[in-house]
Amino acid sequence: MEILVLFGCVLVLVLLNIPIAVALGIVAIAAIVVTQGVASLPNLPVVLYNGATNFPLIAIPLFILAGSIMNASGISRRLIAFASAVLGWIRGGLSIVSIGTSMFFAEISGSAVADVAALGSVLIPAMERRGYSKEFACAVMSSSATLAVIIPPSIPMILYAVIAGTSVVQLFVAGIVPGIIGGLGLMGMAYWFARRYNFPVEESFRLAHVWKTFKEAIWAFLMPVIILGTIFGGVVTATEGAAMAVIAALFIGLFVYRELDLAHLKQAVIEGGVQTAVVMLLVATSALLGVYLTEAQVPQKLAASVASFTTNKWVVLAILNVLFLILGLFLHSAAAIILTVPVVMPLVNAAGIDPVHFGLIVTINLGIGQQTPPVASVLMTACAIGKADMWEVTKINVWFVAVLMAVLLLVTYVPATGMWLVDLLYR
Amino acid sequence: MRIEAVRSAFERFLEVVVIVLMVTLSAEVTLGIVYRTIGSSLVWYDEVAAILLAWLTFYGSALAALKRAHIGFPGLVNSLAPRWRVPAVVFAEACVIAFFALLGWVGYAVLDVLSTDFLVSLPSVSVAWTQSVIPIGALLFILAEVLTVPGLIASARGRGAIASSDLAEKLH
Repeated sequence: MEILVLFGCVLVLVLLNIPIAVALGIVAIAAIVVTQGVASLPNLPVVLYNGATNFPLIAIPLFILAGSIMNASGISRRLIAFASAVLGWIRGGLSIVSIGTSMFFAEISGSAVADVAALGSVLIPAMERRGYSKEFACAVMSSSATLAVIIPPSIPMILYAVIAGTSVVQLFVAGIVPGIIGGLGLMGMAYWFARRYNFPVEESFRLAHVWKTFKEAIWAFLMPVIILGTIFGGVVTATEGAAMAVIAALFIGLFVYRELDLAHLKQAVIEGGVQTAVVMLLVATSALLGVYLTEAQVPQKLAASVASFTTNKWVVLAILNVLFLILGLFLHSAAAIILTVPVVMPLVNAAGIDPVHFGLIVTINLGIGQQTPPVASVLMTACAIGKADMWEVTKINVWFVAVLMAVLLLVTYVPATGMWLVDLLYR
Repeated sequence: MRIEAVRSAFERFLEVVVIVLMVTLSAEVTLGIVYRTIGSSLVWYDEVAAILLAWLTFYGSALAALKRAHIGFPGLVNSLAPRWRVPAVVFAEACVIAFFALLGWVGYAVLDVLSTDFLVSLPSVSVAWTQSVIPIGALLFILAEVLTVPGLIASARGRGAIASSDLAEKLH
């Protein structure tokens, strides 16, 4: 009951277009004052401040910054050229190239919107010129951008790991195989469309051309291999790896590709700072809500009430999957993680679900949520780039979303899909 | 026109603060790795990095407020007729300002108590100094809201949407 009233109040404020972070803060303060009195007010700034001083979350601004710098350094063009040389000979090659490029870009970027903004502005018009409908082009770019949050690094994974108190490195590793399966599945769907609508072949396969484009893009491949390799190998933490990524991106942009200018760099830094602040304010105000939830033992009560109905972990996972899919329709991924993960974690633990496995499920779920209107940040960005109607794009995108749903079901009910690599490396 | 000039100057100021914090944070974490690699770890590395993140959170939030970049849901308010939209916008802005006014006031009051606490790794630095970001950040946030309210109400009176900046979308 308490939780319904609490989230009902947050919902009303959010519907009035009060920023979610502020709505959380207002409701939390009201709840704390009602239950503990005004004497508790002086604690609140300290709680808010402490909520924003979480060391592992420093990886968020640093990965955002590294991705922005790499994008401003002309990396997208080189990745597209390489993917085209490798995959362009297949029927419907350009759509498959788009998915392949998204998979490569995902290793640099932890954000699906950054992925679709960087690649979509080049590939959507290119697909249109080659005779693909703009709706199809937007659907391919939008769905493949979801791979950016499944394949490491991933900002939603960092956020989840910190809030759930689990290993971000293990979560990164868990995302690798499902990300590759998702990419191949999306390519299969694009190929099916290509055969049906007779989309063109781009170029013949020439090993010399593949080698030439590979050499030009080699820094784009080396950087994630080095950064993620040192993180996975335990040489550096995820946060330190993110700082190394910034330095490496600067080095590549300024001295190797020499395409990074100061104006681009300044814009990248400001955007990275603002995006970080937006998420971190949510994290900080959710700490206020955490004070009330902990005091009132709301997550434990929720866990107990679900446990009285079922303790079967597969049923619990099905319930949570449905919950996150519904939330994904209306909430941005960061907000959904911050709002729900602290509440459902006792239930997850009580049902014996591995928190890393659950983190992977949450990430894929919310990746799908970015594709489903009305609140679909990635889809909306793709549609804005392609100047296409969101609902028309959705009619095609539903097939690609079905592929992502299949990956979600596979990851949920065959945990080894993502977890075998984690077990192999860390357990 | 005058308010636009103030808004623009305020935006440039906050941008400089955000750039300085982002660059310092990146440099500080990198420095921490270098020192640890050469076997001489910096004791203040974690604590200072966490403080920089908190400062980036609150100063960056004021910039995000100025750019209308905080994550919200403008769909329902946008669908209202202008005569309902204006009161809804005014109510929402009043709630936001009241929240940060309360936070700023309590945050300022508590600084006095915190002035006797010092950082663990840098005992010469007062906790009150690091947590001054709460009242200052709250004040800057309120200023950002006040500077954007006239434009927001003008949008609410017209037929156009009052959607937030696309910056809010970019993190996902």
